[in-house]
Amino acid sequence: MSGTIATLVTVLQSDGIIPRGSRVEVFDAIYWVFLVLGALVGIVVIGYMLYNAYKYRDVGETDEDAAESKKVERPKLGELPRGGGGGRKLFLSFTLSAIIVISLIAWAYGILLYVEEGAAEEPPTEQAEALEVQVEGYQFGWRFTYPNGHTVDSAVGDSFKVPADRMVRLNVTSADVFHNFGIPGLRVKSDAIPGQYTQQWFIAEDPGTNYTARCYELCGAGHSDMTATVEVMSQEEWQNWYEGTGNETETGDDGNQSDGGDDDGHALEDVLEEPVDYGMEVHA
Amino acid sequence: MASTKLYTIIFVVLAALTTVQAWVEISGFLDQSYWLAFGILGVVASVKALMVAGYFQHLRSEPRSITYVYAAGLMAALALTVAAAYSIT
Amino acid sequence: MPDDNNGDDGSVPSGERDASPESRADGGEVTDGGHAVREELPAGDEHGHDFPSMGTVKRWLVTTNHKDVGILYTVTSLFFLVFGGLLALLFRLELTTASGSFLTGTAYNQAVTAHGLLMVFFFLSPFAFGFANYFVPLQLGAKDLAFPRLNALSYWLYLLAGGLFGLSFLQGSTFAGGWTMYAPLNLPMYLPEGVGSTTAVMAMIMFVISVTVSSVNFLTTMHRMRAEGMRIRDMPLFSMSILLTVWMMLFAFAALLAALIILASDHILGTTYFAATEGGSLLWAHLFWFFGHPEVYIVFFPALGMMAEVFQTFTGRRIVGRKWFIAAMTLVALQSFVVWMHHMFLTSINLEIKTLFMATTIGISLPFDLMVFALIYTMIKGRIRFTTPFLFAFGALLLFIVGGITGVFLGAVVLDYEFRGTYWVVAHFHYVMVGGAMAMFGALYYWYPKMTGKMYDEFLGKAHFALSFVGFNLLYFPQFVAWETPRRVYNYQPEFVTWHQLSTVGAFVFGLSFLLMFYNFYKSYHHGEDAGDAPWKYASSAEWAIPSPPSLENFPGVPSYKGGSLSFLSEEEVHGAAAADGGPAHGHATGDAHAGGHDDHASYWPLLSSVAVFVLFVGLAGTNGGGTVYTATAALGGLALLGTAAGWVVESFHVSEPELASRWPFDGVENTKLGVWIFLASDVVVFGAFVGSYIFIRVAEGWQNWHHLLPADHVVLPGLINTYLLLASSFSIVLAMVAAEKKSRAGVVAGLVTTLVLGIGFLINKGIEWSHFFHIHSEHFPEGWTFGTNVASSTFYLTTGMHGLHVTLGLLVLLWMIPRAWRGAYTSTEDGDKPLEYFGLYWHFVDIVWLFLFPLFYIL
Ligand code: HEM
Ligand SMILES: [Cu+2]
Ligand SMILES: [Cu+2]
Repeated sequence: MSGTIATLVTVLQSDGIIPRGSRVEVFDAIYWVFLVLGALVGIVVIGYMLYNAYKYRDVGETDEDAAESKKVERPKLGELPRGGGGGRKLFLSFTLSAIIVISLIAWAYGILLYVEEGAAEEPPTEQAEALEVQVEGYQFGWRFTYPNGHTVDSAVGDSFKVPADRMVRLNVTSADVFHNFGIPGLRVKSDAIPGQYTQQWFIAEDPGTNYTARCYELCGAGHSDMTATVEVMSQEEWQNWYEGTGNETETGDDGNQSDGGDDDGHALEDVLEEPVDYGMEVHA
Repeated sequence: MASTKLYTIIFVVLAALTTVQAWVEISGFLDQSYWLAFGILGVVASVKALMVAGYFQHLRSEPRSITYVYAAGLMAALALTVAAAYSIT
Repeated sequence: MPDDNNGDDGSVPSGERDASPESRADGGEVTDGGHAVREELPAGDEHGHDFPSMGTVKRWLVTTNHKDVGILYTVTSLFFLVFGGLLALLFRLELTTASGSFLTGTAYNQAVTAHGLLMVFFFLSPFAFGFANYFVPLQLGAKDLAFPRLNALSYWLYLLAGGLFGLSFLQGSTFAGGWTMYAPLNLPMYLPEGVGSTTAVMAMIMFVISVTVSSVNFLTTMHRMRAEGMRIRDMPLFSMSILLTVWMMLFAFAALLAALIILASDHILGTTYFAATEGGSLLWAHLFWFFGHPEVYIVFFPALGMMAEVFQTFTGRRIVGRKWFIAAMTLVALQSFVVWMHHMFLTSINLEIKTLFMATTIGISLPFDLMVFALIYTMIKGRIRFTTPFLFAFGALLLFIVGGITGVFLGAVVLDYEFRGTYWVVAHFHYVMVGGAMAMFGALYYWYPKMTGKMYDEFLGKAHFALSFVGFNLLYFPQFVAWETPRRVYNYQPEFVTWHQLSTVGAFVFGLSFLLMFYNFYKSYHHGEDAGDAPWKYASSAEWAIPSPPSLENFPGVPSYKGGSLSFLSEEEVHGAAAADGGPAHGHATGDAHAGGHDDHASYWPLLSSVAVFVLFVGLAGTNGGGTVYTATAALGGLALLGTAAGWVVESFHVSEPELASRWPFDGVENTKLGVWIFLASDVVVFGAFVGSYIFIRVAEGWQNWHHLLPADHVVLPGLINTYLLLASSFSIVLAMVAAEKKSRAGVVAGLVTTLVLGIGFLINKGIEWSHFFHIHSEHFPEGWTFGTNVASSTFYLTTGMHGLHVTLGLLVLLWMIPRAWRGAYTSTEDGDKPLEYFGLYWHFVDIVWLFLFPLFYIL
């Protein structure tokens, strides 16, 4: 089974059916395919249902009138239940729908692999070096820590600044309860779980655009307001801003780092390719 | 129904197997080769459980369907434990 | 058992035993409202006089009859529907603006949480089980469930669990962490102040106990009390769906029970399972969804069964591919236990396991395809009558198709990456779950005439369907469009505000449409036309072959399908057949030859024991933080529980097993024993989940990186001693059994006393061990090693503590049994030693659990 899927996936990929690009592009491609096919299947099935319901409505003829209805057997009171035949047709339509569903999912699985590849450590194809950011949810806000240790906090109105056209890889965790970090506009989302690290990535394409990040898991009284602004900058602009933040590493020392960072160092190492000053070292 | 003698033998074997389990630890075997000892302890515990279920609960002489019901519960619990533990990254 | 029931044309009922309503002796002259028939018990029924009539309050407090209990379930669940529905209208109003207005913060969270819990637990399943109580015995040809008092107990536990949940609102704040109760938000440190959250958790535990009791009852009944000639696969589809539902319930709710007990322990004892940084959050997610996914089928299957019945009746066609329909349902029931991680695709589970669970999820959607097509094809060549029940069932199928297709979207992991936590999920599961509820409302119209003897008003029924169907779609479809809205927020993207307003309008249309239903049922009950026995042409299952409402004893004789269709045998015929059949194997714990009359139908003890549990739980919830009043309440409740339990066993309550029945696959195991076994199977899952939790946390922590959390490595001795003690106590129970067989009273007493002493020794040894750990003063644990010290202490105390609780309960039973043994209760009659055997099964099970705890907690 899984072998077949794997082959299928390779075939699909080699033909370039698997969409690539930013998360938005990937999502759009797959979402629309599902939506169109899903709607089609839904309309056909429901239409067929309505058609039959109309066609075989009881028109009030008596049993005697309906000569042909003699050929049709009706359930009788007190009989042991049994089936009404028609198995072949049933199987035909079942097989048809199974084929649609399975091939759709196999295709979507290929895309999943592409997305997962981006979340893993290997730098993606022909992209500039990815930007690694640690995202930490807390009641009620988000903290973003850049590789140089610079931390911005949504609660004090800071925005999460990212360069355009460069892969941003998120390493998401939580300082207290279960949250979920999502930027709907960039089609990225990941659970923020205390003691766990989850990896996701996205690429923002339009400098000058702002997005809103939200929390997608109920986390307490302030859950509704747990938003952060995501600010997309052009690469140079972002670089300028970023370089200005390097020397204020010490300001990151407001306890954020110790919340979830220290006790799970190995997960962090996975994400850090070259040893960078990550703020943690400052404490150590 | 089986005799008192059979039940006594079963009991003695169960007690002896328990002693074996304790011995695995006390002799230092557990510290030497943890995972082998782990396996032995698991197998012995399962054998003991099977004996209690088979003889004391006389599952052996009940319709097989009862065993299946009991085993179904066990399978469910195992599925949960194994898959959950395996999913840890 | 006849194997050839599938002959094509009507294997006509053997002449004299014709089941058709017209030819039945006691005819269908139900002219006088619902009451008369029930009270007119067959002459010579002695107990008629002490069973109060339906018009009295007392009747409803003491009844154990399955039809009464069914009505109680139905009415109560509708009450919770209204309760949960009003909460929903409240927060739908809040959502008419894109920012918070009148219902914000914790209040909003309480409203959505309580709505979810009430609807899923206190409405959907109990509503289905109202019908199951009423109609499963009728469809199977049984006089009642196997354990009528336990059935009443299930109901009262359910009602009072709901009461406990209601109480939590008054204790500051009810639980506010979402119906999924994700950790660690489900812990006191993150929840609003006050006892309320803990009370809500206790209410859930009480509800789960009710479900478990009910599962054991239904499984025993359905496997052992079917009419002669009705194989499992011959059951009507509604009963079939209930059978699969209870099997899922038995195991799934056991996992939930374990999860909730752990949660309660984190609340009350201060253990630290779900606060554990290594895996605490994920542990909850695994336990909850291991239960949670089967749960979605648990609430949907009964609806599917009802849809199948209604389709068959109103199309006048037998279902297409019945065999495959049943096979598909069975497959889904099994597979539902291996798809749970699709709710966790965005957590840190690894890619392999995601792939696996994606595959199982898609796999499980395929059998549903088949079922949907089967229902659609059943309409072909039908004579479809668009009555209210059919409209609802038809509408429900349509909604289910939409819900299923959108579920496939979620099964594709990449899409789920974006949909998770959004209104897409909300819309999806409301389409399936509330779609299922629509089918059940149809079933309520379908069976209303049978339950009351009155016909409902067809016009009002159709109006209700039209309004609710339009309201439903107006309510949930816009949520697909506005899917980027996060779940459970009152502050959302302003661009979606119109869609949410539409949705709120739909909610009101949908909600108000139910006024029509209530009015219809009220009016029809008092002024409706008499329905007659079989108001629906082409209805075929047995409930339509008896009066509406049926008599207390259900059937005019003993139902049998031996001739291929329903007939009622007289007592003499039954005796003949039973003799030829070899009779019920060694059943008949009661030894009563007259399976016919004399069954009891009234007991106060189910109600009283439930009240005791209620009091106990109210108290327990507050023992940590609520003050001494709560502790005293708990003590009072505990004593009351012991008292009512004693009252229960002392009461003479007669229930007979049917003499003639299909009992596959449990021939030769009497009802009570089967009940004990089924209960133990669910307990296997409870303990399995405890042990699984321990293993999970330990693996997350690093299996071998554990001993630094313990006061000392591998302290084998206390465990070793206790293993010897328990094994010996198992052995002595076996000796008591052997003695009972030899009718040696002294031997039985000696065996039981030995067991008691060994059991007490076990507890003492454990007590010494615990108190040693509690008061330890080591370098690492200067404060002692207590419940909350770390995950190792938490898992140790709670797992072995649960086991200790089982031991304690066993000892209490022994204290009860020893004097009885002394008086010769287990040695004086032929089957007198049965209770010893049942106790033995339980005790050995407790022993077996320990055999695994010993290496896990004392050696490794
Ligand atoms: C037809 C096949 C179905 C598929 C493939 C499917 C798939 C899924 C998936 C993948 C999720 C997780 C979404 C997420 O949280 O990210 C989900 C959620 C859910 N589904 Fe389904 N589902 C199906 C049918 C059903 C049925 C029949 C029911 C119940 C009657 C149901 C009830 C639910 C509920 C209650 C949730 C949400 C739980 C929560 O997070 O609160 N689903 N479904
Ligand atoms: Cu949140
Ligand atoms: Cu699920």
